[in-house]
Amino acid sequence: MLLPRFEYHRPARLDEALAILAQHQGQAAVLAGGTDLLVGMKHKLMKPAHVVGLEALEGFGQIQEQEGMLLLGPMLTASALAGEPGVRARATALALGAGVLGSPQVRNRATVGGNVCNARPAADMCVPLLALGATALLQSAHGAREVPLSEFFLGPGRTVRTPGELLCGVKLPAGGPGVGSGYQKLGLRQALEIALVNVAAFVALEDDGQTVKTARVALGAVAPTPILSPGAEAALTGQVISEELIRQAAQAAAADARPIDDHRGSADFRRQEVLVLTRRALQQAWQAARQD
Amino acid sequence: MGGKYDVIGGRARRVDAVDKATGKAIYAEDLRFVGELHGALLQSPLPHARVLNIDTSRALKLPGVKAVITHKDVPATRYGVSPARYDETVFAIDRVRYVGDEVAAVAAVDLETALEAIELIKVDYEPLPHVLTVDEALAPGAPQLHDEYPGNLCAEVHQEFGDLAAGFAQCDLIHEHKFVNKRQDGGFIEPQHSIAVYDHTGQLTLYSSTQVPHYVQRTLSMVTGVPIGKVRVVKPYVGGGFGPKAEANPLDLCASFLAMRTGKPVRMGYTRAQVFLHSRARHQFFHTMKTGFKKDGTIVALAHQCHLEGGAYSSFGIATVYYAGSLLGGPYRMKHMSYDGYRVYTNKPACGAQRGHGCVAARACFEQQLDIVAKQLDLDPIEMRLKNIMENGDVTCNHMSMSSLGMKECIQAVQTGSDWQEKRGKLPPGRGIGMASGFFVSGAGYPIYRSDTFHCTVTIKVQEDGGTVLVKTGAAEIGQGSDTTMAMIAAEAIGIPLEAVRLVSGDTDYGVDLGAYSSRTTLMTGHATKEAGLAVKETVLTALAQELGIERQRLDLKKGLVQISGEPVDFSALRTKYIKEHRGWTDHPDGEQLTFTEAARVAFLKHGTIVGTGKYKPPVLGGLHKGAAVGTSPAYGCSAQVAEVSVDLETGQIKVERITDAHDCGQAINLTSVEAQMEGSVSMGLGETMFEEVKFDKDGRVLNPSLGEYHIPTVLDMPEMKCIVVETGEPNGPFGAKEVGEGAIMPTIPAILNAVHDAIGVAIDELPLTPERVLKALAQAKQG
Repeated sequence: MLLPRFEYHRPARLDEALAILAQHQGQAAVLAGGTDLLVGMKHKLMKPAHVVGLEALEGFGQIQEQEGMLLLGPMLTASALAGEPGVRARATALALGAGVLGSPQVRNRATVGGNVCNARPAADMCVPLLALGATALLQSAHGAREVPLSEFFLGPGRTVRTPGELLCGVKLPAGGPGVGSGYQKLGLRQALEIALVNVAAFVALEDDGQTVKTARVALGAVAPTPILSPGAEAALTGQVISEELIRQAAQAAAADARPIDDHRGSADFRRQEVLVLTRRALQQAWQAARQD
Repeated sequence: MGGKYDVIGGRARRVDAVDKATGKAIYAEDLRFVGELHGALLQSPLPHARVLNIDTSRALKLPGVKAVITHKDVPATRYGVSPARYDETVFAIDRVRYVGDEVAAVAAVDLETALEAIELIKVDYEPLPHVLTVDEALAPGAPQLHDEYPGNLCAEVHQEFGDLAAGFAQCDLIHEHKFVNKRQDGGFIEPQHSIAVYDHTGQLTLYSSTQVPHYVQRTLSMVTGVPIGKVRVVKPYVGGGFGPKAEANPLDLCASFLAMRTGKPVRMGYTRAQVFLHSRARHQFFHTMKTGFKKDGTIVALAHQCHLEGGAYSSFGIATVYYAGSLLGGPYRMKHMSYDGYRVYTNKPACGAQRGHGCVAARACFEQQLDIVAKQLDLDPIEMRLKNIMENGDVTCNHMSMSSLGMKECIQAVQTGSDWQEKRGKLPPGRGIGMASGFFVSGAGYPIYRSDTFHCTVTIKVQEDGGTVLVKTGAAEIGQGSDTTMAMIAAEAIGIPLEAVRLVSGDTDYGVDLGAYSSRTTLMTGHATKEAGLAVKETVLTALAQELGIERQRLDLKKGLVQISGEPVDFSALRTKYIKEHRGWTDHPDGEQLTFTEAARVAFLKHGTIVGTGKYKPPVLGGLHKGAAVGTSPAYGCSAQVAEVSVDLETGQIKVERITDAHDCGQAINLTSVEAQMEGSVSMGLGETMFEEVKFDKDGRVLNPSLGEYHIPTVLDMPEMKCIVVETGEPNGPFGAKEVGEGAIMPTIPAILNAVHDAIGVAIDELPLTPERVLKALAQAKQG
């Protein structure tokens, strides 16, 4: 399998990168880790005339924390996120998702920016980020905008990002005391798996340590994009957390799932797994929130 | 066994280990030839269609294209694996029969150009209705694949041994069980790759990633018309085969034709997706077994039916359909057995042989049934098996002779090794333990084509300077370790250290060797190697005896030193002569014993080059019934395994926690390699049990043709393994050795199935054990 011919750009500055994207609107693909792009190009699913590599852009691989927010550079790899103590403590679900993405080799290449822009319904980083309330930071030659991840995904491989825009970061609230998250993934084997179903849960408790202030449950592989379960959120918010409440929220999440039958699993099976995995992810999140 | 041998039975470091670990090992794709061209294949996008017209004109005009060939440019010779069913041609002539069927091939200056040229070939197809399943293929009025084989029946088998009706009449319990596996892919790491070189003398040399240089040589000669004496097939290192590489493939043939046409070396390789299209891997088997038992658990009679979904061509399928029945004759004593097998053509890639050829699904079905019946009869499944077990010298009802069979020893070893008594029936919900047994041939008793040929010949040449020997064998090292095994056997036979043996293999110029399939190499090539080694030793020691003026019987070789029995012999003149020949050298022999180096030099000075040859062909074996050739073998290896699993009762996910595995390999040549084969077998069996399934859409296209979506186990999926090597000493094996490569996979699937049955109370009769299938089984059990 050969790569089709393309022109490669390696901008060293952001404005340069944005100018290239502006110039080749629709003809340019952005290369982060390449774990999806290069495979797709080899399979002739994409034939971009221009490829813009982000490797030389400064700060794109950094993690910053400011004003209670975590700011993730798009070139952060899955293995970096999985191993970073700050991420493990303050965005647990993301660290867990990043830690089970692909294999060690894939995790050393795959980036959070690539995972988000690639917008696969079962993406191991997208589902946690959605639950964690993340926002995509987009920039183009004409300006910048912030889009909540809940409005970012349009369909498999499709997002609101325009061809001239670059994802320059992902922003999410940093967890702290009373806040926890969890991630559950069901695959066939222990590694190199696209989830049959994956669920991330986020819980923030009031100061009383038992009333749910905020909660989000994100579901993967049960809709054309990773989705949030409004039912689970409604079931949890303002209530005193308990095993029973978690069970109700899981049922609501299962009701919100919109799976289809495909060769990897039936819709019924997926809905059934959403129930189990949501419960487990919420238990994980509750456990973490209590620990702080 | 310790101490009996000097070289074998130990743990030699494999001769290829360092090269492979450091990336220096040369595989077909690594070879480079001056002026080589790159070939590419045009394959059918339709599952079944008439080929109306092929227009290659635009492809031929593309700069850089050197040749485009279709069926019009090559002989229409039919080929295949079994001469009884040659049903393939190099290119589709008037019809394509599956998505992937070969239509044309191109050679160009680089791969990019070749692939572009492929896209410029215009083929007019008239789509025909197609069949993808056994049921569709056998339905009345179904579209037909081959005019010569009506009803889409590629082959059928009907056998009865003993008296089935009388057998069933004695039974207290008759149980019927159905079982189905899924079509597999070989999952080897190296996709097939071939390079053909055709020189000015008319010699065709093919470098191919193959398990069987000999059969490829024959097929190439037969199809190309190049005399067989001018066809040479060379096998570089091969990254796994497991069966699908045991036949000449379209790359071998197309690269050869393109090289002959262009006069340039031509390379062709499969992508991973094309590996799935070529397939030749495990069939899907639909088994129905009606088995009769006595109250005490005695197995009396088996009526067995099986349908195989075969794909568009026969490949190994004739053997497969026989194997699926014949190896149920053991390892339990059973007097009455009937088998009706049907291999069915479908518009899908052809299935063929894969590790445990034809037998693993049958074994899974039978062993699962034994567990179900043991439960009904309230017997411990191990005790029930031991009650029926065959032993050394037993002959099956279908005439297979168990010259050695450590089946009982294997079962007892895993019973003890797994703490079976402490665990069975005492594990918490969701945890289970199960066991199974199985056995396999140690080399097919007959070649694939009818012939009295030797199955292998080996030459060992003593290097003229003495000291080292060179083993030349056509045997195919495909990762299983045969190079090291043969070097060890040669060293043991001659009586020299392993370091004194060099070995070249995998080249048809080195002699006849049927190749790496049917777990034949250790026993068969081992015999020939041993014979060649003994011949070398005889010649050397005879020459030495003459030189020393003593009887030959007083001499022997051990660890590279000459042993002289009886009165001491003065060999100082001989040693002085040797030392004079090596003035200035610093490694003169100075020990109290003569060395092999000195003896071999003496023999060379007397006779010229010393060469020992060896050969092997099995004795006449088995019964006279139709199909007796499949399953008969000079020896049988056997295995027992205990699997322990945990099942997540909510998600349906299974984890195989531990496998205790015992295998009787007769005599371990390299203990490390034996254990590696046992672990590899478990890995492959576990994949088939838990994950693997080649899936198709309604138009016959493979849905998951990648190792991302076709799930073979990773190292994280492997259970904790305990390997127990049982050595019964096979009378028909070299130094008592027999197979381990395939017998070891037999119990894996049913051991896991039986453990899951124990864990969840339900026997699941369909593979793979995905979470979805497990949840469904649990739900059905709940409903009663």
